[in-house]
Amino acid sequence: MPDLEEQLAALAPAIDWPLTPTLKVALPTHGVVSREAARRGRRPANNRWILAAAAALLIVATLLAYTPSREAIARWLNLHTTIQRVQNPPTPLPLPPGPLGERLGLGTPTTLENAQSQLAWKIEVPPSLGQPDEVYVKEPPDGPSGGEVTLVYAQRPDFRVSGQTGVSVLVTEARGKVNEVFFQKMLGPGVTIEDVTVKGRPGYWISGSPHDFVFADANGDAHYERLRLATNTLIFDDNGTVIRIEGDMTKSQALELAGSLS
Amino acid sequence: MEGRPADDSELITRALRGDSAAYEEIVQRYQQIAFRTAYVITGSSADAEDAAQEGFVKAYRALDRFRPGADLRPWLLRIVANEARNRVRSSGRRRQLELRLTEGFRPGDAAPSPEAVALASDERQRLLALVNALSDEDRTVIASRYFLELSGEETAAALGIPEGTVKSRLSRALARLRARVEEAANA
Repeated sequence: MPDLEEQLAALAPAIDWPLTPTLKVALPTHGVVSREAARRGRRPANNRWILAAAAALLIVATLLAYTPSREAIARWLNLHTTIQRVQNPPTPLPLPPGPLGERLGLGTPTTLENAQSQLAWKIEVPPSLGQPDEVYVKEPPDGPSGGEVTLVYAQRPDFRVSGQTGVSVLVTEARGKVNEVFFQKMLGPGVTIEDVTVKGRPGYWISGSPHDFVFADANGDAHYERLRLATNTLIFDDNGTVIRIEGDMTKSQALELAGSLS
Repeated sequence: MEGRPADDSELITRALRGDSAAYEEIVQRYQQIAFRTAYVITGSSADAEDAAQEGFVKAYRALDRFRPGADLRPWLLRIVANEARNRVRSSGRRRQLELRLTEGFRPGDAAPSPEAVALASDERQRLLALVNALSDEDRTVIASRYFLELSGEETAAALGIPEGTVKSRLSRALARLRARVEEAANA
């Protein structure tokens, strides 16, 4: 008698599936890519939304993807991030339609002042980028127990607009309990991760090919349907606040921004 | 080379240039596995057809964000399966998936004796009935892995869970099925 798994495998060709219909997929008359590209070119505001959303998703993807070893967990504990090395990282779903905050799962749009009044800790901003173009807040149960804020910088000189997020820079700051996970990442081939020090505290610089990223909620549950691709990212602990800076930027640019936060 | 079927990356490149025939070839290539995956999730042929159709349209619109060099099939299945789950959620109902065996199925090329076929068929019916009696979660992971013959990566994509969770969920589902098989054998 074959074992159970063999018996199940032997059933596969005997399953009576419903007849597969001939799918009639109505495609646009013109190539969707060129049309999308043209639309993005005409409407830069969409790029801002896409960029901010992409940055948020990057963080989440990072956290979701990691099945850390004991040593790795200890290494990343203070960053509330799980990171997993995978050979074939999944290609995320298309981002949902809608404003940037919704598409990237950034939370509720607000102002910097209102965000600060909602959170019990000080929001750090990089002065050299000026005022953020958009600000989002997430609180439990959708975000970490201590809350999360994302600052969106749509287009800034010296910072290319990221193909993943559609904006120049995303800064996400989050705070919660000691063992809480805020972000999950999956790193495939072509992605490098380096130890860095920011303001005397440990951090990591993730660069190269885009990596998968997803946010986790206050329960530490990542929502894989919001998995997205993220571009270069610096993540570090700033006195209990985990700060994540994402953009199509160099390591020195990211470290300079991080060092200027005040 | 003339007559050689185009590989997925060629078809994607052509589709990205606006060649709708190339995308239609992708649809033809994967519509069966996409439809069956959606059927396992929704338990309904009509919902599975709608989910597969909408999933392929969404995939086309997102083709420019497909990771170059990645496998197309898990990506398509992830999109279609997500669409299927959304349909189940929005309708607030999920039809119980009931798998059946093809009548008169004979395994292998060489036809076994009628007694052997009858016995094997009876065993298959009993095993499938036990699979159908499992919880939704157990039945779905077993159907995806063994009946749809999805890889671990594809099963993870179809179920919207990490690959590691597929392994643990499958292991638990098999343990429960094994217990029921033994119970039935001892009854």
